[in-house]
Amino acid sequence: MKIIGSQLIENLLIITKNSTETVQKLKELKIDEMNEKYAPNEWSILECIEHLNLYGSFYLPVIERAILSQKTVSNPRVFKSSIIGDYFVNLIKIRPDKVKKMSTAKNMNPFGRSLTITTIDRFLKQQEQLKSLLDQAKYVDMTKATTPVSISKFIKLRLGDTLRFMVYHIERHVTQADNIHRN
Amino acid sequence: MTEEQIFTTDLISSLKTAGVKKTFSNGEFILKEGEIERNLYFVESGAIRVFLLSEYEEQSIRFGFEGSIINSLASYLRESPSEFYIEAIRKTTLRVISKEKVSALANKDFDSLTGYKSLLETVITQQIEREIDLLTVSPTERLKRVLQRSPNLFQKIPLKYIASYLRMTPETLSRIRNS
Repeated sequence: MKIIGSQLIENLLIITKNSTETVQKLKELKIDEMNEKYAPNEWSILECIEHLNLYGSFYLPVIERAILSQKTVSNPRVFKSSIIGDYFVNLIKIRPDKVKKMSTAKNMNPFGRSLTITTIDRFLKQQEQLKSLLDQAKYVDMTKATTPVSISKFIKLRLGDTLRFMVYHIERHVTQADNIHRN
Repeated sequence: MTEEQIFTTDLISSLKTAGVKKTFSNGEFILKEGEIERNLYFVESGAIRVFLLSEYEEQSIRFGFEGSIINSLASYLRESPSEFYIEAIRKTTLRVISKEKVSALANKDFDSLTGYKSLLETVITQQIEREIDLLTVSPTERLKRVLQRSPNLFQKIPLKYIASYLRMTPETLSRIRNS
Protein backbone atom coordinates (compact mmCIF):
# COMPACT_ATOMS: atom_id res chain seq x y z
CA MET A 1 0.00 0.00 0.00
CA LYS A 2 1.18 3.51 -0.89
CA ILE A 3 -0.39 6.64 0.55
CA ILE A 4 0.51 10.24 1.48
CA GLY A 5 1.53 10.14 5.15
CA SER A 6 -0.84 12.86 6.29
CA GLN A 7 -3.76 11.16 4.49
CA LEU A 8 -3.01 7.86 6.23
CA ILE A 9 -3.00 9.62 9.60
CA GLU A 10 -6.32 11.36 8.86
CA ASN A 11 -7.93 7.98 8.10
CA LEU A 12 -6.50 6.42 11.26
CA LEU A 13 -7.63 9.36 13.41
CA ILE A 14 -11.23 8.93 12.23
CA ILE A 15 -11.27 5.22 13.11
CA THR A 16 -9.61 5.97 16.45
CA LYS A 17 -12.24 8.58 17.28
CA ASN A 18 -15.03 6.08 16.50
CA SER A 19 -13.47 3.42 18.71
CA THR A 20 -13.08 5.89 21.57
CA GLU A 21 -16.72 7.01 21.29
CA THR A 22 -17.99 3.45 21.25
CA VAL A 23 -16.10 2.61 24.44
CA GLN A 24 -17.26 5.84 26.10
CA LYS A 25 -20.82 4.60 25.53
CA LEU A 26 -19.97 1.12 26.85
CA LYS A 27 -18.61 2.77 30.00
CA GLU A 28 -22.16 3.69 30.98
CA LEU A 29 -23.09 0.00 31.38
CA LYS A 30 -23.17 -1.62 34.80
CA ILE A 31 -19.97 -3.41 35.81
CA ASP A 32 -21.80 -6.78 35.89
CA GLU A 33 -22.89 -6.32 32.28
CA MET A 34 -19.31 -5.56 31.29
CA ASN A 35 -18.13 -8.78 32.93
CA GLU A 36 -20.90 -10.95 31.46
CA LYS A 37 -20.11 -13.56 28.81
CA TYR A 38 -22.30 -15.48 26.44
CA ALA A 39 -20.15 -18.58 26.32
CA PRO A 40 -17.68 -19.73 28.98
CA ASN A 41 -14.75 -19.71 26.55
CA GLU A 42 -15.51 -16.29 25.07
CA TRP A 43 -14.39 -12.87 26.25
CA SER A 44 -16.48 -10.39 28.17
CA ILE A 45 -16.55 -6.69 27.22
CA LEU A 46 -13.87 -5.93 29.83
CA GLU A 47 -11.69 -8.79 28.62
CA CYS A 48 -11.82 -7.42 25.05
CA ILE A 49 -10.74 -4.01 26.34
CA GLU A 50 -8.05 -5.40 28.65
CA HIS A 51 -6.62 -7.31 25.69
CA LEU A 52 -6.23 -3.95 23.93
CA ASN A 53 -4.64 -2.44 27.04
CA LEU A 54 -2.04 -5.23 27.05
CA TYR A 55 -1.23 -4.48 23.41
CA GLY A 56 -1.14 -0.75 24.10
CA SER A 57 1.27 -1.21 26.98
CA PHE A 58 3.70 -2.82 24.56
CA TYR A 59 3.12 -0.76 21.42
CA LEU A 60 2.53 2.81 22.63
CA PRO A 61 6.00 3.14 24.20
CA VAL A 62 7.78 1.65 21.16
CA ILE A 63 5.79 3.90 18.80
CA GLU A 64 6.72 6.91 20.90
CA ARG A 65 10.40 5.90 20.80
CA ALA A 66 10.27 5.42 17.02
CA ILE A 67 8.82 8.91 16.54
CA LEU A 68 11.31 10.56 18.89
CA SER A 69 14.25 8.86 17.13
CA GLN A 70 13.40 10.57 13.82
CA LYS A 71 14.11 14.00 12.48
CA THR A 72 10.89 15.83 11.62
CA VAL A 73 10.13 16.41 7.96
CA SER A 74 8.37 19.51 6.68
CA ASN A 75 6.95 18.38 3.32
CA PRO A 76 4.46 15.47 3.23
CA ARG A 77 6.05 12.09 2.57
CA VAL A 78 4.57 9.08 0.87
CA PHE A 79 4.25 6.07 3.13
CA LYS A 80 4.92 2.71 1.57
CA SER A 81 3.80 -0.46 3.35
CA SER A 82 6.13 -3.43 3.63
CA ILE A 83 4.85 -6.84 2.48
CA ILE A 84 4.87 -8.24 5.99
CA GLY A 85 3.29 -5.08 7.44
CA ASP A 86 0.47 -5.22 4.92
CA TYR A 87 0.01 -8.93 5.68
CA PHE A 88 -0.40 -8.31 9.44
CA VAL A 89 -2.79 -5.42 8.92
CA ASN A 90 -4.99 -7.38 6.53
CA LEU A 91 -4.99 -10.31 8.91
CA ILE A 92 -6.62 -8.41 11.75
CA LYS A 93 -8.63 -5.80 9.82
CA ILE A 94 -12.36 -6.53 10.07
CA ARG A 95 -14.33 -7.10 6.92
CA PRO A 96 -18.04 -6.45 6.73
CA ASP A 97 -18.80 -9.82 5.12
CA LYS A 98 -17.20 -12.26 7.54
CA VAL A 99 -15.76 -12.53 11.01
CA LYS A 100 -12.74 -14.72 11.20
CA LYS A 101 -11.89 -15.93 14.69
CA MET A 102 -8.27 -15.71 15.72
CA SER A 103 -6.30 -17.03 18.65
CA THR A 104 -4.32 -14.82 20.98
CA ALA A 105 -0.78 -15.03 22.28
CA LYS A 106 -0.84 -16.18 25.90
CA ASN A 107 0.77 -13.02 27.30
CA MET A 108 -1.87 -10.88 25.61
CA ASN A 109 -4.81 -12.97 26.84
CA PRO A 110 -6.80 -11.29 29.64
CA PHE A 111 -8.99 -14.38 30.15
CA GLY A 112 -10.04 -14.87 33.76
CA ARG A 113 -8.37 -11.77 35.22
CA SER A 114 -10.46 -9.79 37.68
CA LEU A 115 -11.32 -6.59 35.88
CA THR A 116 -12.90 -3.34 37.01
CA ILE A 117 -13.90 0.03 35.60
CA THR A 118 -10.22 1.04 35.60
CA THR A 119 -9.86 -1.24 32.55
CA ILE A 120 -12.10 1.12 30.58
CA ASP A 121 -10.50 4.26 32.05
CA ARG A 122 -7.03 3.00 31.20
CA PHE A 123 -8.12 2.22 27.66
CA LEU A 124 -9.45 5.76 27.26
CA LYS A 125 -6.13 7.14 28.52
CA GLN A 126 -4.31 4.96 26.00
CA GLN A 127 -6.59 6.25 23.23
CA GLU A 128 -5.63 9.82 24.13
CA GLN A 129 -1.99 8.81 23.99
CA LEU A 130 -2.51 7.06 20.63
CA LYS A 131 -4.24 10.12 19.18
CA SER A 132 -1.36 12.31 20.28
CA LEU A 133 1.17 9.89 18.74
CA LEU A 134 -0.78 9.81 15.46
CA ASP A 135 -0.68 13.61 15.37
CA GLN A 136 3.09 13.53 15.90
CA ALA A 137 3.70 10.73 13.38
CA LYS A 138 2.55 13.04 10.55
CA TYR A 139 5.84 14.89 10.89
CA VAL A 140 8.24 11.96 10.57
CA ASP A 141 9.10 9.55 7.77
CA MET A 142 6.84 6.58 8.65
CA THR A 143 8.55 4.32 6.11
CA LYS A 144 12.02 4.86 7.54
CA ALA A 145 11.07 4.74 11.24
CA THR A 146 10.50 1.21 12.54
CA THR A 147 9.24 -0.47 15.70
CA PRO A 148 9.70 -3.95 17.14
CA VAL A 149 6.69 -6.28 17.31
CA SER A 150 5.32 -8.18 20.30
CA ILE A 151 5.46 -11.64 18.74
CA SER A 152 9.04 -11.94 17.50
CA LYS A 153 12.42 -10.36 18.14
CA PHE A 154 13.42 -10.82 14.50
CA ILE A 155 10.74 -8.78 12.79
CA LYS A 156 10.53 -4.99 12.60
CA LEU A 157 7.58 -3.11 11.24
CA ARG A 158 7.57 0.27 9.53
CA LEU A 159 6.02 2.87 11.82
CA GLY A 160 3.14 3.45 9.40
CA ASP A 161 2.30 -0.26 9.44
CA THR A 162 2.53 -0.43 13.23
CA LEU A 163 0.09 2.49 13.48
CA ARG A 164 -2.27 0.84 10.99
CA PHE A 165 -2.04 -2.43 12.89
CA MET A 166 -2.77 -0.71 16.22
CA VAL A 167 -5.78 1.23 14.96
CA TYR A 168 -7.38 -1.69 13.07
CA HIS A 169 -6.69 -4.08 15.93
CA ILE A 170 -8.45 -1.70 18.32
CA GLU A 171 -11.35 -1.34 15.89
CA ARG A 172 -11.64 -5.11 15.70
CA HIS A 173 -11.97 -5.71 19.43
CA VAL A 174 -14.05 -2.62 20.17
CA THR A 175 -16.51 -3.93 17.56
CA GLN A 176 -16.38 -7.31 19.28
CA ALA A 177 -17.12 -5.66 22.66
CA ASP A 178 -19.93 -3.61 21.15
CA ASN A 179 -21.46 -6.74 19.62
CA ILE A 180 -21.45 -8.47 23.01
CA HIS A 181 -23.42 -5.51 24.34
CA ARG A 182 -25.87 -5.50 21.42
CA ASN A 183 -26.59 -9.22 21.63
CA MET B 1 -3.50 17.67 74.93
CA THR B 2 -2.65 20.19 72.22
CA GLU B 3 -5.41 21.91 70.23
CA GLU B 4 -4.62 19.58 67.35
CA GLN B 5 -5.04 16.48 69.48
CA ILE B 6 -8.28 17.82 70.96
CA PHE B 7 -9.61 18.68 67.51
CA THR B 8 -8.56 15.31 66.06
CA THR B 9 -10.22 13.52 68.97
CA ASP B 10 -13.37 15.61 68.48
CA LEU B 11 -13.29 14.93 64.74
CA ILE B 12 -12.90 11.20 65.24
CA SER B 13 -15.67 11.07 67.83
CA SER B 14 -18.05 12.93 65.53
CA LEU B 15 -17.00 10.70 62.64
CA LYS B 16 -17.88 7.75 64.86
CA THR B 17 -21.22 9.15 66.03
CA ALA B 18 -22.44 11.43 63.21
CA GLY B 19 -20.66 9.60 60.40
CA VAL B 20 -22.76 7.31 58.24
CA LYS B 21 -21.60 3.73 58.49
CA LYS B 22 -20.83 2.19 55.09
CA THR B 23 -19.42 -1.22 54.25
CA PHE B 24 -17.40 -2.02 51.13
CA SER B 25 -16.30 -5.40 49.86
CA ASN B 26 -12.79 -6.07 48.58
CA GLY B 27 -12.29 -4.36 45.21
CA GLU B 28 -15.23 -2.01 45.57
CA PHE B 29 -14.66 1.68 44.75
CA ILE B 30 -15.34 4.40 47.30
CA LEU B 31 -14.48 7.16 44.83
CA LYS B 32 -13.55 7.13 41.15
CA GLU B 33 -11.42 9.42 39.03
CA GLY B 34 -13.44 12.40 37.81
CA GLU B 35 -15.88 12.40 40.72
CA ILE B 36 -15.79 15.20 43.27
CA GLU B 37 -14.79 14.25 46.80
CA ARG B 38 -17.35 15.63 49.22
CA ASN B 39 -16.57 13.46 52.26
CA LEU B 40 -14.03 12.57 54.84
CA TYR B 41 -13.65 8.92 55.83
CA PHE B 42 -12.71 7.25 59.07
CA VAL B 43 -11.63 3.63 58.66
CA GLU B 44 -13.30 1.51 61.37
CA SER B 45 -11.97 -1.77 60.03
CA GLY B 46 -10.36 -3.14 56.89
CA ALA B 47 -8.02 -1.30 54.51
CA ILE B 48 -8.32 1.07 51.57
CA ARG B 49 -5.89 2.55 49.09
CA VAL B 50 -5.79 5.77 47.08
CA PHE B 51 -4.29 5.30 43.62
CA LEU B 52 -3.57 7.09 40.37
CA LEU B 53 -4.24 5.37 37.06
CA SER B 54 -1.89 5.96 34.13
CA GLU B 55 -1.96 4.48 30.61
CA TYR B 56 0.06 1.53 31.82
CA GLU B 57 -0.26 1.05 35.57
CA GLU B 58 -1.85 1.90 38.87
CA GLN B 59 0.27 3.89 41.30
CA SER B 60 -0.77 3.56 44.96
CA ILE B 61 -0.19 6.86 46.74
CA ARG B 62 -1.79 6.46 50.16
CA PHE B 63 -3.23 3.77 52.41
CA GLY B 64 -5.85 3.88 55.11
CA PHE B 65 -6.36 1.22 57.76
CA GLU B 66 -8.05 0.92 61.13
CA GLY B 67 -8.07 4.37 62.74
CA SER B 68 -7.04 6.34 59.64
CA ILE B 69 -8.75 9.51 58.47
CA ILE B 70 -8.51 9.67 54.70
CA ASN B 71 -10.04 10.96 51.45
CA SER B 72 -9.02 12.31 48.04
CA LEU B 73 -7.63 15.47 49.52
CA ALA B 74 -7.06 17.88 46.62
CA SER B 75 -10.52 17.19 45.22
CA TYR B 76 -12.05 17.64 48.68
CA LEU B 77 -10.31 20.95 49.30
CA ARG B 78 -10.81 22.46 45.84
CA GLU B 79 -14.08 20.71 44.95
CA SER B 80 -12.52 19.72 41.65
CA PRO B 81 -12.71 16.32 39.91
CA SER B 82 -10.60 13.74 41.73
CA GLU B 83 -7.44 12.57 39.99
CA PHE B 84 -7.45 9.50 42.21
CA TYR B 85 -9.47 6.38 42.84
CA ILE B 86 -10.17 5.11 46.35
CA GLU B 87 -10.66 1.36 46.55
CA ALA B 88 -11.34 -1.06 49.39
CA ILE B 89 -8.60 -3.70 49.43
CA ARG B 90 -10.22 -5.77 52.18
CA LYS B 91 -13.76 -5.93 53.49
CA THR B 92 -13.92 -2.44 54.94
CA THR B 93 -16.22 -0.46 57.19
CA LEU B 94 -16.04 3.32 56.95
CA ARG B 95 -17.65 6.18 58.80
CA VAL B 96 -18.45 8.86 56.25
CA ILE B 97 -18.88 12.51 57.16
CA SER B 98 -19.62 15.39 54.78
CA LYS B 99 -17.37 18.39 54.21
CA GLU B 100 -20.13 20.64 55.61
CA LYS B 101 -20.09 18.77 58.90
CA VAL B 102 -16.30 18.92 59.13
CA SER B 103 -16.53 22.65 58.46
CA ALA B 104 -19.11 23.16 61.17
CA LEU B 105 -16.91 21.28 63.59
CA ALA B 106 -13.83 23.31 62.68
CA ASN B 107 -15.68 26.61 62.97
CA LYS B 108 -17.34 25.79 66.29
CA ASP B 109 -15.03 27.99 68.36
CA PHE B 110 -11.56 29.49 68.38
CA ASP B 111 -9.86 26.39 69.80
CA SER B 112 -11.45 24.14 67.19
CA LEU B 113 -10.23 26.43 64.44
CA THR B 114 -6.71 26.37 65.89
CA GLY B 115 -6.91 22.58 66.09
CA TYR B 116 -8.12 22.30 62.49
CA LYS B 117 -5.30 24.56 61.29
CA SER B 118 -2.78 22.50 63.20
CA LEU B 119 -4.15 19.26 61.69
CA LEU B 120 -3.73 20.74 58.20
CA GLU B 121 -0.13 21.63 59.07
CA THR B 122 0.48 18.01 60.03
CA VAL B 123 -0.99 16.87 56.71
CA ILE B 124 1.31 19.24 54.79
CA THR B 125 4.30 17.94 56.73
CA GLN B 126 3.31 14.35 55.88
CA GLN B 127 3.11 15.26 52.20
CA ILE B 128 6.66 16.59 52.35
CA GLU B 129 7.82 13.34 53.96
CA ARG B 130 6.19 11.50 51.06
CA GLU B 131 7.93 13.78 48.58
CA ILE B 132 11.29 12.90 50.17
CA ASP B 133 10.32 9.19 49.92
CA LEU B 134 9.85 9.53 46.19
CA LEU B 135 13.13 11.42 45.78
CA THR B 136 15.05 8.77 47.71
CA VAL B 137 17.01 6.80 45.14
CA SER B 138 17.85 3.64 47.07
CA PRO B 139 14.92 1.19 47.24
CA THR B 140 16.18 -0.15 50.59
CA GLU B 141 16.22 3.36 52.01
CA ARG B 142 12.71 4.04 50.68
CA LEU B 143 11.38 0.96 52.45
CA LYS B 144 13.17 1.92 55.69
CA ARG B 145 11.64 5.40 55.71
CA VAL B 146 8.14 4.07 55.21
CA LEU B 147 8.50 1.37 57.86
CA GLN B 148 9.68 4.00 60.36
CA ARG B 149 6.38 5.79 59.83
CA SER B 150 4.17 2.69 59.63
CA PRO B 151 5.90 -0.28 61.29
CA ASN B 152 2.84 -2.50 60.84
CA LEU B 153 2.33 -1.77 57.14
CA PHE B 154 2.93 -5.36 56.03
CA GLN B 155 0.34 -6.64 58.53
CA LYS B 156 -2.28 -4.31 57.10
CA ILE B 157 -1.66 -4.01 53.35
CA PRO B 158 -1.00 -6.69 50.69
CA LEU B 159 2.57 -6.65 49.39
CA LYS B 160 1.76 -5.78 45.77
CA TYR B 161 0.20 -2.47 46.84
CA ILE B 162 3.13 -1.61 49.12
CA ALA B 163 5.47 -2.30 46.20
CA SER B 164 3.51 0.12 44.02
CA TYR B 165 3.57 2.73 46.81
CA LEU B 166 7.35 2.36 46.98
CA ARG B 167 7.67 2.51 43.20
CA MET B 168 9.27 -0.89 42.84
CA THR B 169 8.21 -4.30 41.58
CA PRO B 170 6.82 -6.87 44.07
CA GLU B 171 9.89 -9.01 43.28
CA THR B 172 12.31 -6.23 44.26
CA LEU B 173 10.36 -5.59 47.47
CA SER B 174 10.48 -9.29 48.43
CA ARG B 175 14.20 -9.41 47.74
CA ILE B 176 14.91 -6.35 49.91
CA ARG B 177 12.79 -7.68 52.77
CA ASN B 178 14.58 -11.02 52.71
CA SER B 179 18.08 -9.61 52.58
